[in-house]
Amino acid sequence: MKVIVYAVQTVEGWTPYWTVDWSIDRRYWLDGGFREGVGEAIGPRGIPRPSEATPRLVKLMEPLPLGWAEAVCDRLKAEWSGRSRELALESVRTGMGQALQAVVGEGERGNLLSTMTEIVTAGGAGAKDENEPGRGNAWEGSSDANSRAARSKAEGRALAERLPRLAQQLAGRSLLREEAASMLAAPDAATLLRELQLAALLGAARLSAAIAPAAARGPGLRCRRCGSAEARMRRTACASCGRSGCAVCEACLALGRSRECALLARGAEPGASVLQARRAGVPAADELCGRWGLSPAQRRASEAAVRFLRGEGEFAAGTRAAQAAGHGGRERGLTDSGPPNVGLRRTAIAASSDEHGLRSLVRTATARLLAGRRRDPMALQARSFLLWAVTGAGKTEMIFPLLEAVLSAGGRALIATPRRDVVLELAPRLAKAFPGYSRAVLYGGSEERWHQAALTLSTTHQLLRFQEAFDLVLVDELDAFPYHNDPMLHYAAAAARKPDGATVLLSATPPTPLRRAASRGRLPHAKVPVRYHRHPLPVPRALRMPPLHRLAASGRPGLKAGVKLPGRLLQALGASVARGAQVFVFVPYIRQIDGLVAYLRWSASAWGISPEAIDGTSSKDEGRRDKVVAFRDRQLRLLVTTTILERGVTVPRSDVFIFDAHQTLFDEAALVQMAGRAGRSADDPAGRVYFCSAYHTLAQRGAIGQIRMMNRLARRGRYLLGSEEGEG
Amino acid sequence: MSALEWLHRLLHPQLEACPRCEREVRTAPAAALPIRHPGPRAVLSRLCGDCRSAVPWILAIGCPVCGRSARCQDCLRRRVRHVERSRCAVRYTEEMKEWLAQYKYSGAERLEPVLAAMLAAPLERLIVERAVPFDLIAAVPLSAERLDERGFNQAERMATRLSRWYRIPYRPLLQRVRHTEKMSFKSRRSRLTDLRGLFEALPETRELRKPDDAPISLLLVDDVYTTGSTINECAFALRRSNPRLDVCGVLWARS
Repeated sequence: MKVIVYAVQTVEGWTPYWTVDWSIDRRYWLDGGFREGVGEAIGPRGIPRPSEATPRLVKLMEPLPLGWAEAVCDRLKAEWSGRSRELALESVRTGMGQALQAVVGEGERGNLLSTMTEIVTAGGAGAKDENEPGRGNAWEGSSDANSRAARSKAEGRALAERLPRLAQQLAGRSLLREEAASMLAAPDAATLLRELQLAALLGAARLSAAIAPAAARGPGLRCRRCGSAEARMRRTACASCGRSGCAVCEACLALGRSRECALLARGAEPGASVLQARRAGVPAADELCGRWGLSPAQRRASEAAVRFLRGEGEFAAGTRAAQAAGHGGRERGLTDSGPPNVGLRRTAIAASSDEHGLRSLVRTATARLLAGRRRDPMALQARSFLLWAVTGAGKTEMIFPLLEAVLSAGGRALIATPRRDVVLELAPRLAKAFPGYSRAVLYGGSEERWHQAALTLSTTHQLLRFQEAFDLVLVDELDAFPYHNDPMLHYAAAAARKPDGATVLLSATPPTPLRRAASRGRLPHAKVPVRYHRHPLPVPRALRMPPLHRLAASGRPGLKAGVKLPGRLLQALGASVARGAQVFVFVPYIRQIDGLVAYLRWSASAWGISPEAIDGTSSKDEGRRDKVVAFRDRQLRLLVTTTILERGVTVPRSDVFIFDAHQTLFDEAALVQMAGRAGRSADDPAGRVYFCSAYHTLAQRGAIGQIRMMNRLARRGRYLLGSEEGEG
Repeated sequence: MSALEWLHRLLHPQLEACPRCEREVRTAPAAALPIRHPGPRAVLSRLCGDCRSAVPWILAIGCPVCGRSARCQDCLRRRVRHVERSRCAVRYTEEMKEWLAQYKYSGAERLEPVLAAMLAAPLERLIVERAVPFDLIAAVPLSAERLDERGFNQAERMATRLSRWYRIPYRPLLQRVRHTEKMSFKSRRSRLTDLRGLFEALPETRELRKPDDAPISLLLVDDVYTTGSTINECAFALRRSNPRLDVCGVLWARS
């Protein structure tokens, strides 16, 4: 869209502004009655005022594309800082023209814009606006100045009275114009812009371009929603701003189009987080955690996390742990920080296509050299805490005390999880645990999209619509697709938190950098080494087998004649079926499933089950949900699947076979997660896990090592059943 | 980034991403393309195998008027016809609906070359069938409001790409007089009545002339052919302004 740029002399001196609704700004500055009415409605404190009794506005004649308007204002602010009071009217006019020229000069050629300015005063020609609401013939004909002023005042008040509600709805949000229209239920586009503009003028909301303009020596454009840098921008001709190269962010396209000339509405800057407030009479950490019926290991970890949130005990200010918490990572400010870095090589590919890219490449490269150190988008945010709990430890119960700590203090908490089915599964449990607080459940297509709630449960993608909203951000399964390795979602999770809030990361298999940070004391953390039923984790056993591709010709159903699965493997499968276990068989690729199912069905009668009790499923299978249900209900006894079922599926009394465990697709985390499907119920805690592979790999060794380490920790912490009696 | 990671990145093969699904293209697609021109062929051959074989090309024409793959009722019902004939690239299946929605409504402009290249198939078919080369390309216009909201006119964008590939000059000849609700929400009857007088030819249209007053072959581009009334109305406006025009339609999908 296009906006108007103007400057006005306020009590602080000449200040540049841009506006999406010129009539509001013009009226606000030039019509004293209107301004008074606005002041009455929201309290006169802190609203901007012109310095003169009859103020003059200097306006660029031509509307500018939003991105440029913002850049012009930034440039003018920088230029005028310190001397904005002494500026003469003429130098304001020339300054504005020059700033526009400089900004457009940096952009593409072929966009000719007039640098002419005009002066608008209350009585001047520019003051007449036929479209202005509430101004009819009566006003034109009336000679009574008093009644005119009274009327302006009433109008100003009426408009401003709607603002507190708007400000409250926008708080903590970051919305494109279409999203804002849908959230605020604006009757039409003009009303929305009018209200937003007045809110922005009074500091009740922040309006900006959805893509941050490139600073003079900065690293190029950056999407304000998802944090993506130049490499994800596509420049296209845009009919709404008239530019031939208006950038669009391709990274967050799925959630609406963020472009250089698009309006992004954000709430006003938040106050301090409730976590910072020291209050008397709150229940102590151990008391808080005692209410939720946690096992000793869960309880100890939850208590540590609550103390971390409150900055108590070992996390009190000044202690080593607190310092670690503060310096665990780079503070990610929202306006000043650099873009998440996408590797140079990728930039280079994008750059070969056009001139902008080449220029941006040079700019990025120099910026990086100047910065000296690469910024890592996946870097830990300051005040982060890692809750490392083994599979089946009961993570959900452990987060309840944390949520209570924040909610009871009047704060807002967020649980972000990568997958929608987890959101739907968790929602009723949260509703039961926290009936007294407002809740919102967000996922693609959710009805509660615009609820402002104390407790928000969301898929990670929905976080793009928040900014500086939450006191506590809980990221579940941080090593799972799609959150893992996606700089956009990391940025979103970091941005959704208040700058002085806290982040708690949950995982059974944290990625190596986090584990390293934790072990070196840079990341405060707590481990839960034992499952809720307090039996040790089953340790995987190795079984040799020829690689699957030698058994099954890829893409062809059925197996090649002559090559068979080794007898020991079939025996182990048979034994698992015979002991009444549900058998998971994991394979690396979807195309291997059908062949293997057909093969295993030959053995069904030998194992004493019907061939129909053996089936396979994958991400491409429409009936996946039904098959998982059938598997849980024991109608299916053996399920061949891929890593799609590695998490979140709990089947009582199950054994796990991982075929081709040497495949690079199965990394350490995937192996631990798959092994974690076994032995999850209290009545069958010792499930069997087999790594069936052609050769041993580092990943397999690492996975076994991790499981053994957790069991060792559990034994040492005397969390295992029977250990208290035995030793204490 | 560690030195090892850097080295890995340096040595890793550069896999191209499919412009549609953004996944890495690993296997060479097997599906043939019904297009001869190397430009659009090159664009479409960057699609991955899955996306490429998902395209439901219209290869056999059932209705000589609208280019549908089956015989059609609409063309029999219409008495006055202003479009000589239309040809469409694909059947408007659920999958194709999603492709178009991604481009049109979500604004995934990376799909633009792909969709434009798909239009090359019906264009080439028309050229062969008619044996008369086209003199001009025009596109069905959007209303100013819609253009402002969307930021681009998909038909115009596709038309300019075709114009560059086939060296047929593009001219904006039409404008939309009124703003209507999205066509996709409407029934057949309300489409027909709503469209009346919706388009107007620009003054330039009147001036178009060929030596010795030969008829001018004009190609009109649009995205979806549902009843054919939009393109027919456009052709009507054009021919009223300049009767020497012969209008043919080329559309991306036939529903």
